[in-house]
Amino acid sequence: MAVIVKKVELTWLDRSYVWPIAAGMVITFRHFIKQITTPTSRRFTIQYPDMKKTMPKGYRGLHELKRFEDGAIKCVACFMCQEACPARCISIEAEEFSELNFTQGFEEKRPRVFKIDMLRCIYCGMCEEACPKDAIWLRNEYELAAYDRLSMNFGKWDLMNTYAAADGKARLSQDSESPATPSRPASASSHSADPA
Amino acid sequence: MESVAHSIGLSAVMIWTLVKVLVVFGFVMSIGSLWTWVERRGSAMLQDRIGPNRALLFGRWQLLGLPQLVADGIKFFFKEDQVPPHATKRLYWIAPMLAFVPALIGFAVIPFGRSFTYQGALYHLSILEPGNGMGMLYPLAIGAVAVYGILVAAWSSNNKWAILGGMRASAQMVSYEISMGLAVLAIFMRVGGYDPGEIIREQVTTGWFFWRQPFGFLVFFICMFAETNRLPFDFAEGESEIVAGFHTEFGSMKFALLALSEYAHMITASALLATMYFGGWAVPFMPVAPVLLTILFFLIKLLFFMWIFVWVRWTLPRFRYDQLMFMGWKVLLPISMANLILNAWLMARGH
Repeated sequence: MAVIVKKVELTWLDRSYVWPIAAGMVITFRHFIKQITTPTSRRFTIQYPDMKKTMPKGYRGLHELKRFEDGAIKCVACFMCQEACPARCISIEAEEFSELNFTQGFEEKRPRVFKIDMLRCIYCGMCEEACPKDAIWLRNEYELAAYDRLSMNFGKWDLMNTYAAADGKARLSQDSESPATPSRPASASSHSADPA
Repeated sequence: MESVAHSIGLSAVMIWTLVKVLVVFGFVMSIGSLWTWVERRGSAMLQDRIGPNRALLFGRWQLLGLPQLVADGIKFFFKEDQVPPHATKRLYWIAPMLAFVPALIGFAVIPFGRSFTYQGALYHLSILEPGNGMGMLYPLAIGAVAVYGILVAAWSSNNKWAILGGMRASAQMVSYEISMGLAVLAIFMRVGGYDPGEIIREQVTTGWFFWRQPFGFLVFFICMFAETNRLPFDFAEGESEIVAGFHTEFGSMKFALLALSEYAHMITASALLATMYFGGWAVPFMPVAPVLLTILFFLIKLLFFMWIFVWVRWTLPRFRYDQLMFMGWKVLLPISMANLILNAWLMARGH
């Protein structure tokens, strides 16, 4: 089926070019006046190192491995995220741990190694979707750069501490097995799975 | 002044000329380089951008991005000055100067202020004294020479893109020169002479030519864009089709000179527009104005037209080559011819 293209009939004023050009120049001059009277902080351009964009809610940036209030890792090393990852950038090695822990809901498994290769990650958020424990979040950090490939390979403690400073939390460097950990209550201690 | 002149073995006239040459060319060159800044920041503002503002003077003062000029200058001076092995060496060396000098010296005949008498001697505020027999023909002739700068630059660099740009630019400049000449002719006819001083005096007494010959102004204005090789007529260049155009093979200070020659051209073109259609140094509603005020008004008019050049560049898209030729030969030439005949008829009827 043929389409009838409607031709725009220009008036003689438009065909003279002088009037449309003048109109166009008025438009650009209006932009000029508007831009020059706007302070730099309120212009469209975000002058990056000096000014930073506030990322929208739900932005998928650098990951964080979430922790319980006592600092224990939420992750139970179920490998769901590793399976879900389309870029295959997550590698987990699980370990058992016997010290039963109330806040962790008596889980006995946790990642010994949890690595994300940030150079491979495509920040799709599938790991976040797949996680049954809500233990991995993609948050608003986006300034990821390093001088070598190895330092873009984030390990378990790197991932747990990615937002420690931003959230005002302590940096962790080992699994919480200190006496301060609220382990199972004294009444239940006789049921300990590991008598040794 | 006489005694100072005699003490260094020069006449007062020579000293006066020397001062004028230094001040005027210093001014033109500094405005030319300043206008690269205006172009960049101004275009940014026209397009809701910010423009170059990261260069800091001594790492501290931003000064609205003006240190960018210094940074560019330093960069251009210290870049390797490479001559491509296939270039025609001598012409390649001459070309930037051939482009820059005509653009600059066209300004010489323009009066930038009212002539005044000091201690019984008459001083003229233009580098070439009025009554030199060249008058307004001189900047037009020099402007026509400027095309050689571009063509020589294009040809000597022995590059097919450069030669394409140069060919297009020269064809364009030649075809627009005729309409421009005819538009100017109507003014010469009205004034009865082609001395810029006479043209300005005529405008002081009977009103600016902008009001009296609007079509002539339109044609001359458009032709000035073509003469300066600015958008929408920048056929010497073209990033999308011929790499960079006529200055593809030029680097370092040679490139800077070619780029600056465009701005020098703009200054001369603005001065011509101001002189011929906007009364030059004439102050509106003030037939006899103080000398400094006339200089100020000339400056205002000059800078206004320079801004128009920038403004138009960042508003309009460029023409296609056939549109350009159509406009030059079939639109502007008839208009300027009609303008000439109309003025001739009006003058004949007046007698």
